Amino acid sequence: MKPWRQWQIEEINNKDKLFPKRLAKIKAAPEKLYYRGNWDSKIFTKAIAVVGSRSMTKYGEMAVAKLIPGLVRAGYTIVSGFMYGIDTAAHKACLAEGGKTVAILGGGLNQLTPVQNDKLYSEVLDQSGLVISEYEPEEKAQLWTFPHRNRIVAGLSQAVLVIEAGEGSGSLITAKLGFDQKKSVLAVPGSITTSLSAGTNWLIRNGAILVTKAEEILEELGEEVTVKAKQLPLNLTEIERAIMDQLSKESLSADELVRMIKLDVVRVGQALSDLALKGLIEEAGDKYILGFKNAD
Amino acid sequence: MASNGLQPLEIEVEVNVASRGFPGFNIVGLPTKAVEEAKERVRTALVNSGVEFPQKKITVNLAPADIPKEGSAYDLPMAVGILVAAGEMPLPDKKKYFYGEVGLDGRLRHTRGVFLLASLAKEKRVTKVFVPKLAANEASVVEGIKVYPVNSLVELVRHFNQDKLIKPLKNLDRHELIEAADVEFDFSEVAGQEQAKRALEIAAAGGHNVFMVGPPGSGKTMLSRALPGILPELTEGEALEVTKIYSVTGNIEPGGGLVRRRPFRSPHHTTSRMGLIGGGSKPMPGEISLAHRGVLFLDEFAEYPRSTLEALRQPLEDGVISVVRVAGQMQFPAKFMLVAAANPCPCGFLNHPKRACVCLPGQILRYQKRLSGPILDRIDIHINVPFVEVEKLRQDSAATAGNDSSELIRARVKAARKIQEKRFSGEAVPAGRQGIFANGEMKNKQIKKYCQLSADAERLLQQAADKWQLSARSYFRLIKVARTIADLAGQTKIEYAHIAEALQYKVKV
Repeated sequence: MKPWRQWQIEEINNKDKLFPKRLAKIKAAPEKLYYRGNWDSKIFTKAIAVVGSRSMTKYGEMAVAKLIPGLVRAGYTIVSGFMYGIDTAAHKACLAEGGKTVAILGGGLNQLTPVQNDKLYSEVLDQSGLVISEYEPEEKAQLWTFPHRNRIVAGLSQAVLVIEAGEGSGSLITAKLGFDQKKSVLAVPGSITTSLSAGTNWLIRNGAILVTKAEEILEELGEEVTVKAKQLPLNLTEIERAIMDQLSKESLSADELVRMIKLDVVRVGQALSDLALKGLIEEAGDKYILGFKNAD
Repeated sequence: MASNGLQPLEIEVEVNVASRGFPGFNIVGLPTKAVEEAKERVRTALVNSGVEFPQKKITVNLAPADIPKEGSAYDLPMAVGILVAAGEMPLPDKKKYFYGEVGLDGRLRHTRGVFLLASLAKEKRVTKVFVPKLAANEASVVEGIKVYPVNSLVELVRHFNQDKLIKPLKNLDRHELIEAADVEFDFSEVAGQEQAKRALEIAAAGGHNVFMVGPPGSGKTMLSRALPGILPELTEGEALEVTKIYSVTGNIEPGGGLVRRRPFRSPHHTTSRMGLIGGGSKPMPGEISLAHRGVLFLDEFAEYPRSTLEALRQPLEDGVISVVRVAGQMQFPAKFMLVAAANPCPCGFLNHPKRACVCLPGQILRYQKRLSGPILDRIDIHINVPFVEVEKLRQDSAATAGNDSSELIRARVKAARKIQEKRFSGEAVPAGRQGIFANGEMKNKQIKKYCQLSADAERLLQQAADKWQLSARSYFRLIKVARTIADLAGQTKIEYAHIAEALQYKVKV
């Protein structure tokens, strides 16, 4: 794989024929963009912005894992902001599915932020994706440049999908820009007690479309959706079923499960390991939650 | 007596009161400051005991003369020498040991190292030792010697003048002492934390090291404090080993005798490397040796400097620590169970149900990277200690009422340990090392030999290794823990259920 620094930085002017029309139309459209990668305007034909909190929770991670592959398979490009958290997860999920992804940086193209994404930068380019910035290559990211570049994230996309967002977070700015640009804004609902779902729930209350499956997003984007056959129920032991029952209501720690099911910790522990191996549950911090495999 | 590490050395205190010469008081034989100052202490103590201090040239020689002497324990033999020379008391007939620091009023103070003196006496067949009363219990656990607890110089003089005899102490019955030791913290008092408690039971049964992750106030310290109480009682031999270390370092309280409980040490994370593993220009045992046969609890594990933690590797493997200094090379025993605890992130509130974590993702990443050092590789059991909502627990008080007491758990642990002792009794012991007693000490070779997995247990383990991408090391660790779980269940083969449970204690960060 070619390291990203070896890719030439190129420019594209908004007068250029290849400049995405969708982006040219927005308010305060950038006059020119710097980019690395092979510019192919087809990449923007079917594109969706995926944004969310930098401090992603396990729930956000699972939402990404559940929603993105379906979109990529349907031929969508994932546009995001390359920050850590949901952005990075979305880029990675897209790449893992073999898709193309576009990253809009908050700083110049030679300013790697965050540094952990060094490899991701190269991978995006390697899989015919693009890394774009409106700033001079050596310009450092500032606090204000991140919300500013969000208009490009929204502008390049047909719709904005918000996965997890706290109140007043940058993701909500992108969502608002999405509204302003008359695009569909989609949001993944969350628990009313989680601070990182407060933003997405607020969006839904204020006109965003609630989505829980890739199919629902595709439907919103005007795609034909074929309905999958339902999964067969699995063979579970009594304890396993009891655990699944409890976890379908809320996320719980092993200790809490022991108390609720009123069985000894040894047997509950064994069942938890079993369920986790089957992918039916996942560990999230010190709690367990339902795995996304069986959430449909 | 002087000591070189834990090795005692007999020192003879010669006192000469010359009939000719300018009055004075000199100490030779490489005395350090504390010994040098004995002059003033002894002189004043004698005067205050009503003895006329001889106005003659007094020379004290500490033999062998080429070994540096330190400490205040030479006060008593010097005083005795002068008392004899002054004609206050007869010269004791047979060889006897005198040991202890004197106060200005002529009373004897608590002095460290008395236990070591008593064991030296036994080795050299010296039957009578005179030590300060406050420290006399330490000596009385050594069998075969007579220990005379001395309160003051006056008492000592009367004793030798057959005026009023000092009654020797009865030998303490070690076995009874150990049996009677009560538990400091009982497991039944710990509310909630079912999984952590079970994990500690397994750890105690198999001698596994434990790593706990949880927010502040979730009970990590309390749990580890309760751990010594579920370990098997100290055997007599172990108790003597521990007492020796504690006596030398002056960690036995005045009046205390045998160390009866398994030690629990929790050094602060600012403790220096020397303080932790032992050392100094004259090497002394560090915290890891004070935790010998007990539990070493390292709270705020991530805050310890890397170099300090690296130094723990060798003792964790070998059970002893070798310290080399100019003064010589010394070995201190350091066979302990390591319990490390850390917050899940720098602020501590990651995944906390009530409080938001304020750490940046990069900070958390860096923090977790710091935790996953080579020491964590030597820790078999990893557990989460989640925050417990007291309110919730109160509602389920019926559930916690059935908590197992430490005594009950200890019985199970002992049964499992017995199985292990039998298992490893045939193992060859490499020279200069201690043999294996518990599953936690198994090396790969022994794991292959003693850990047969049933077919579906094998399959489960393989599945887990694929899903969580377990390293070879963590793979073997899982088997070790499963071995202990099977021992607790009294089964010879490791079954599916044992592996399934062991998977609960795999690496978390």
